[in-house]
Amino acid sequence: MMKMKKVMSGVLAATMVLSMALTGCGDKKEASEKKEEGKVFNIMTFNEEFKGFFESYFAEKHDDGEYYVGDAKVVWTIVPNENGAYQDALDRALLNQEDAKDDEKIDMFLAEADYVVKYVKSDATADVEKMGVKDFSNAYKYTVEAATDDNGVVKGTSFQCCPAGVIYRRSIAKDVLGTDDPDEVQSKIDSWDKFNEVAAEAKEKGYYMTASDGETYRTFSNNKEAAWVDEDNNLVIDSAIQSWMDQAEMFAKNDYTILNDIWGEEKQQQMLDTGKTMCFFGPAWYYNFCMGNAMDTCKGDWGLCQGPQTFCWGGTWLLAATGTDNEKAVADTMNAFLNNEEICSNMVEKNQQFVNNQKVNEKFASDPNYGNEFLGGQNDTALFVELAKDIKFQNTSKYDQLCNEGIQQYYREYLKGEVTKDQALENFRKFIKEKYPNVNVE
Amino acid sequence: MDKRNKRAALQLAAARVLVYAVIIFLCFLCLFFFVMLFVNSSRTNNQLQRGFTLIPGGHFFFNMKNAFTDSSIQIPRGMINSFIVAAGAAVCTTYFSALTAYGLYVYNFRLKKIAYTFIIAVMMIPTQVSAVGFVQLAYKYGLNNKLWVLIVPSIAAPAVFFYMYQYLKATLPIDIVEASRIDGSSEFATFNRIVLPIMKPAMAVQMIFSFVAAWNNYFLPALLLTKAEKKTVPIMIAQLRSADYSKFDMGKVYMLILLAILPVIVVYVFLSKSIIKGVTSGSVKG
Amino acid sequence: MKNNKTQSKSVSYAKWGYVFILPFFLVYFVFTFYPQVLTIYNSFFENYRDGLTQVGPNFVGLDNYKALLTPSNEGTIDIIKYFGNTIIMWIMGAVPQFVFALLLAVFFTNTRLNIKGQRIMKTVIYLPNLIMASAFSMLFYTLFSNVGPIKPLLVHMGILDKSFDFFFVTLSVRSLVALLNFLMWFGNTTILLMAGIQSIDESLFESARIDGASSTRVFFNITMPLLKPIFIYTFITSMIGGLQMFDVPTVLTNAKGTPDRTVMTVIMYLNNYLGGSNNYGMAGAISVILFIVTGILSLIVFKTLDRDRD
Repeated sequence: MMKMKKVMSGVLAATMVLSMALTGCGDKKEASEKKEEGKVFNIMTFNEEFKGFFESYFAEKHDDGEYYVGDAKVVWTIVPNENGAYQDALDRALLNQEDAKDDEKIDMFLAEADYVVKYVKSDATADVEKMGVKDFSNAYKYTVEAATDDNGVVKGTSFQCCPAGVIYRRSIAKDVLGTDDPDEVQSKIDSWDKFNEVAAEAKEKGYYMTASDGETYRTFSNNKEAAWVDEDNNLVIDSAIQSWMDQAEMFAKNDYTILNDIWGEEKQQQMLDTGKTMCFFGPAWYYNFCMGNAMDTCKGDWGLCQGPQTFCWGGTWLLAATGTDNEKAVADTMNAFLNNEEICSNMVEKNQQFVNNQKVNEKFASDPNYGNEFLGGQNDTALFVELAKDIKFQNTSKYDQLCNEGIQQYYREYLKGEVTKDQALENFRKFIKEKYPNVNVE
Repeated sequence: MDKRNKRAALQLAAARVLVYAVIIFLCFLCLFFFVMLFVNSSRTNNQLQRGFTLIPGGHFFFNMKNAFTDSSIQIPRGMINSFIVAAGAAVCTTYFSALTAYGLYVYNFRLKKIAYTFIIAVMMIPTQVSAVGFVQLAYKYGLNNKLWVLIVPSIAAPAVFFYMYQYLKATLPIDIVEASRIDGSSEFATFNRIVLPIMKPAMAVQMIFSFVAAWNNYFLPALLLTKAEKKTVPIMIAQLRSADYSKFDMGKVYMLILLAILPVIVVYVFLSKSIIKGVTSGSVKG
Repeated sequence: MKNNKTQSKSVSYAKWGYVFILPFFLVYFVFTFYPQVLTIYNSFFENYRDGLTQVGPNFVGLDNYKALLTPSNEGTIDIIKYFGNTIIMWIMGAVPQFVFALLLAVFFTNTRLNIKGQRIMKTVIYLPNLIMASAFSMLFYTLFSNVGPIKPLLVHMGILDKSFDFFFVTLSVRSLVALLNFLMWFGNTTILLMAGIQSIDESLFESARIDGASSTRVFFNITMPLLKPIFIYTFITSMIGGLQMFDVPTVLTNAKGTPDRTVMTVIMYLNNYLGGSNNYGMAGAISVILFIVTGILSLIVFKTLDRDRD
């Protein structure tokens, strides 16, 4: 019996020592972790656009062929946006953030304008000012507002500003309008009525005005007066969307446009030198990232003007994920693409970007020697600086991405003549209900 | 007599022509699309967007390099993952289905009839019916993104069991089992050494089928494998359909499709003889 | 004495029966049966993820079923429409699949026809079955899309109008799905049926031929009746496979089931709920309905084909 007690106390003592040692160890580890950065910098995104800039201008390439920020190896997780796939993957990863190992935790993720607010107003994103992103003086105001939650906490930054205009093919403009000068072209399409008239003229000459029925969608949707889903979770089809539907219908009936997805291959084909389409709607990232065919085959045959209605399209924000162990890398990245003038200038000159740094943009805008080769030497930055003043970023809801995607997809079936307009809208509502069960679609 | 023979010969010749025409048409249909795939995978995006020709474009390796280095669709990784799942599932399915069929065919025990009826009854249940619960459990226990979760369930394949059972019924004389028992062989040894070889043709057929089924499988893996390094080929291919079109390179797309199916085709070209032989000799007479 | 011996023998061997079937049943119960029960259980709950928020699980009784079976504004019940789509597309592919498979199986096994080059032919027709469904569908999409090579060819030949779009016409999308399914499966069916025909005693054919029976009579009086077990097997597996149709229409229509959701299959519908928002409640209810329908259909097929045999 005595022996038993002895053994027991021995075991107890050993356990205590061991547990103390262990907890002691744990404390130390936690303390050191606060200072020490994680060895893996996990970035989640939906395409390769930012990755390209990041690797060209910011991260260091080490001998092992991998890119590093500080000592942290950069690991990308890329999930395409379409059909909400990126958001689903991101949501799951963020919900799993607490249980994930440090090196598997997301440190930073990218979000598009359609859903940036959803993440900014959640606990999944963290205060970046605390991490060291402090200077927003050069940033466009709306980009900071979009990344600020209801309590005034800034959760991220954008590396671009996205005023958009009409990118037209100079040779076709000359043929149809008799001029390819941006100002003169603008004067002929500065309202929707004029735009439609030009479309008729273009058709007579054998051209298409646009290469997708969704081409003008963002121009209308950006000028919506209500969010897609209101505060009571009701789906709202805004009058601006109605206007787009009317315009698209008119274009379809008159063969002014090709009926094709906005990212469709037919539209891509139209960007080749053999293309017959006069207008593409988009911001600066559009011609850099989405007009590869034009870049390859007919550089210089393009011009930029404001178009019938001002709008902005897209934009990508870098957001800091709650629980990141690479705060410095996150802050450094954000600062670099916001305030580093060399990087920002590079992006303008080499990548035709319109960056989120007013100083750099204005420098190029006022530089008489600067011209964009793709646009035949036109100073697009000067125009964008003007357009940026009118950017509206409002009436968003966290369900916007699939609403924007879905309405274009389902409405096209009507334009193609397969269903009635009511059926198309009904199918759209079903789609939303399936994806977002708590949205009232009736 | 002579006339009749002649007429019969003529009829046979006509029938032959017709039969060959049907077969060749079907063969053409089977190959046509792959020829197009092969040609297109050797042309650049630019060439492809300008129209189709049957002449290869000479950029086969250019596209292949692009496909292999695509960072959002890591096709080499996908092929390895797919192979692990498909091979594992094929082995598990055939071996355990044969074992189960043998157990139910050779032995007499109280629950035999119930067990047999049960399997036949559940054979009709679509696998997707369990998918909801399966996905939920997998996420609950953190088993999503684990390849074995896709392999182990294939041990219980009612349809394969049914095929094996039918095959045993047609080919396995109970005497052989009894003779082997008299020789002192254990039950497992009898199954592994005597019965399995007899079942080889059936096993081969079912192994091909289950390998292909697992290799093709898209529904459940797509729900479970969300990490890039765990994705199987079908998920990656489906991703192409909704990929970011902004950097869309059709040459690369065709190449990725080709890469997804090429390994199987290569293996098939070499093994087709034994596969088809195994299939046709699959049924023993009597 | 002798009787006793065999009896004791069968008793001692009985346990091996249990041992041999144990892995199957164990795995079945853990990985299939239990999830099935969970599926049914889920169908009575509201349980989904709304972005970063988890909703439920809340018990809602039969609400999910009610939502599924309530007619929409147009008066149709969606899930019935999707069952219809699935079955139509299966039949469109299965009819040529079985017709051609039977024909080819008979051709190849007919010693009088003595088809040359059988090995190559069989290799070729079985090939598509090895092709990954999603890859094959993606190939079809790229080939038949508006910028693919096939449409301009057909327009040039005057068969199609320039504005025709393969992926916006119900009949053409369904036909493409059926064509893919047919191509992928007829070789497989041919080989299975051939194995069946070859298992028939050759002497039966010989004696029939000596008796002067025509090939049609041989086919209907000897081949078909003896082929029936294998035929039932392939038919039922094809039907179950057809009801589970997913990969091909998903990739062809980018998971949308366009146009007008007429290519939406039941499993695509299920996936709409299960995939994105993890809506276990609605997905569970769809699964239960699918389970019931499959059961009924299989029973009908089994009963009718089995009755024929007697």
